[in-house]
Amino acid sequence: MNEIQTTLSKTGEAAAPALQLNTVRKRKGTGLQSTMGMIKNVIPYVLFFVVWELFSQLNGRIQMFNPLFLPAPSLLVHDGWELAQTGIITDSLLASSMRIFFGFACGATVAVLLAVLMSKFSMLERWMSPFLTLVSPIPSLALLPLFIIWFGIGEFPKVLLIAWTTFVPVLVNTVEGFKSVPSTLIRSALSLGASQRQVFTRIMIPSAIPNLLIGAQISLGLSFSALIVSEMMGADSGLGYLIVDARNYFKVTNMFVAIILIGIEYSLFALLLKLLERKVLAWRRGGIGEAVEKVR
Amino acid sequence: MKLIVEKVRKNFGERTILQDVDLTIHENEFICILGHSGCGKSTLLNMVAGYIFPDEGEIKINGEKIQGPSRQRGMVFQDHALFPWCTVLENVAFGPEVQGMPKKQARETAREFLGLVGLEAYGAHYPAELSGGMKQRVGIARALASHPDILLMDEPFGALDILTRDMMQRELRRLYEKLHTTILFVTHSISEAVYLADRVVVMKHGVVAEVFEIGIQHPRSFDSPGFADMMARIERLLMEDEEEVIV
Ligand SMILES: Nc1ncnc2c1ncn2[C@@H]1O[C@H](COP(=O)(O)OP(=O)(O)O)[C@@H](O)[C@H]1O
Ligand SMILES: [Mg+2]
Repeated sequence: MNEIQTTLSKTGEAAAPALQLNTVRKRKGTGLQSTMGMIKNVIPYVLFFVVWELFSQLNGRIQMFNPLFLPAPSLLVHDGWELAQTGIITDSLLASSMRIFFGFACGATVAVLLAVLMSKFSMLERWMSPFLTLVSPIPSLALLPLFIIWFGIGEFPKVLLIAWTTFVPVLVNTVEGFKSVPSTLIRSALSLGASQRQVFTRIMIPSAIPNLLIGAQISLGLSFSALIVSEMMGADSGLGYLIVDARNYFKVTNMFVAIILIGIEYSLFALLLKLLERKVLAWRRGGIGEAVEKVR
Repeated sequence: MKLIVEKVRKNFGERTILQDVDLTIHENEFICILGHSGCGKSTLLNMVAGYIFPDEGEIKINGEKIQGPSRQRGMVFQDHALFPWCTVLENVAFGPEVQGMPKKQARETAREFLGLVGLEAYGAHYPAELSGGMKQRVGIARALASHPDILLMDEPFGALDILTRDMMQRELRRLYEKLHTTILFVTHSISEAVYLADRVVVMKHGVVAEVFEIGIQHPRSFDSPGFADMMARIERLLMEDEEEVIV
C-alpha cells in the first residue's frame, strides 16, 4: 500500500503540465483560498489515477483479462523511467517537436501571407476560393500515402503534411477575418487621414488577428493528428513511431508512455498558443467570466 | 471653409434615395440635418465625408470637388467606431500619427484633446472598459485631434440613454462654443436639433423640405422663449402627409 502512495505522487507530478492548463484561468484568491482551490482542482486528476492504479492492481490478482493490456500507472512510471534512461524518449520528443514546430510555422506563415494577398487582390481571391472549396473538405490525412509516394519517407512529406493541415484552417479564418472588419473602422481611419497602406497595417491586420488565432487553434489539434499518423507510417523517430514500435514488440507499457507524452506535448503547445493569444488580445474583455459575477 | 452641396442626386440600384439636394454651410456654423429614419440623412453625410459619391450634382469644399475621405472632414459615428485594440490615448493619437506627427508629440496632442472632453484620466483604458457616453466623448476627441475643417456627426448620441444624451448635448455645445469648429450633425430627434443647431435642415423622402433658422439665445432649454414653438413647427412639417402615407 505504501508503495502505491509514493508512485501515485510521482504520476501526479507527471500530469502537472496538463493540469496547469486548466488552473491558469482561475482568478487568484487570498492565500488560503487559492491553496484550497488548487487542492479542489487537483482532486479529479488524482482520483483518476488512483482508480486506474487500484483497478490494474485488482486485475493483476484476479486476472479478469491479461494484466499486460492495462498496466498500472506505477508500472508506467517505472518503465517510462527505464525507457528515458536509454535516451529514446528525449529523441522522440525532440523529433516530434521539430516536425510540428516547422510544419506549423510554415503552414501558418504561408496561409497568412496568402490571406493578405487575397484581401488585396480580388482577382486572386476569385481564383483561390473555388480551389479552397475543392480541397478544404478533404481530411489532410487522406493525402499522406500520396505524399509518401511523391516525396518518400524522409522529413519533407511529414513537415509538408503538417504544414498543409495548418494552412487550410488558418487561411480560411484569416480571410474571413479580413472580410468582417467593421466598415466604420475603415471609414474612421480614412477620415483621420490614414493612407490605404496604413488602413491595412493598422486596421485590417489587428482586427483579423482574433480570427487568425481561432484558425491556429483549430489547426493545432488537426496537425497533431497529422504528426502522429505520419510518424506511424514510415518513420524511425518520434512519438508516433514509439507507438508502432511498441506494438511490433508488444510492449503495451511503452505505448501508454508514448500516448501520455503526446497528451503532455499537445497541452504544452496549446498552452503556448493560449499565452500568445492572451498577450495579443489583451484588449478583449467579456466572456462568461465577465458576464456574471458569482455570489460569494 | 465653405461647403456647398449642389443639385445632388443619389440612387441605390433602381431606388432614388436623394434628389435635388442643395445646401450651403459656412465657416463656424452648427447645422443639424433632421428627418425620419430612412430618409437619406446618412447617405448625404457619407457623400460629404467622401465614402460614396453623388450620381448627379456636386459637393464642393472650399471650391474643390470632394474626391474621397480626407482629414479635413472628421467623422463621428453612432457606434463610436473606436479601434478596440488601441487604448483611449492611442485612439485619439491615431489621426496625428498617421499624418506624420512624431509619436511622442502625437500623444501629447491626444492628451490635450482628451482633457478637452474631460477624460484625461482614462488614457490607458481600452474602449471596452468605458461607458457609452465616454466612448462617444473619445470619438469626438479623436475626430477633433486631426483639426478638421468640418466635423460630421451621424446620430452620435442615438444609442445613449436619455440622461447621458442630455449631458452629451450640453457638452458638445460647450465644445463648439470653445473651438468654433463647423459641425454638420445628423439626428432624428427634434429637440436635439433645436437645442444644438443654428440652422435645422429638415429632410423628407430624399429632398430638403425646409430650412429653419433657430435664432434662440444660448444656453437653450425647453423653457427658452420660442423653443416649444419651433419644435411644434418642425413636428407639424414632419408629420403632415405622413398620415396619408399610412392610410
Ligand atoms: N448601400 C446601400 N445600398 C442600398 N440601399 C441603401 C444603402 N444605404 C442606404 N440605403 C437605403 O437608403 C435609404 C436611406 O438610408 P440612410 O441614408 O441610411 O437613412 P437615414 O440615415 O436617414 O436613416 C434607406 O431606405 C436605406 O435602405
Ligand atoms: Mg442613418
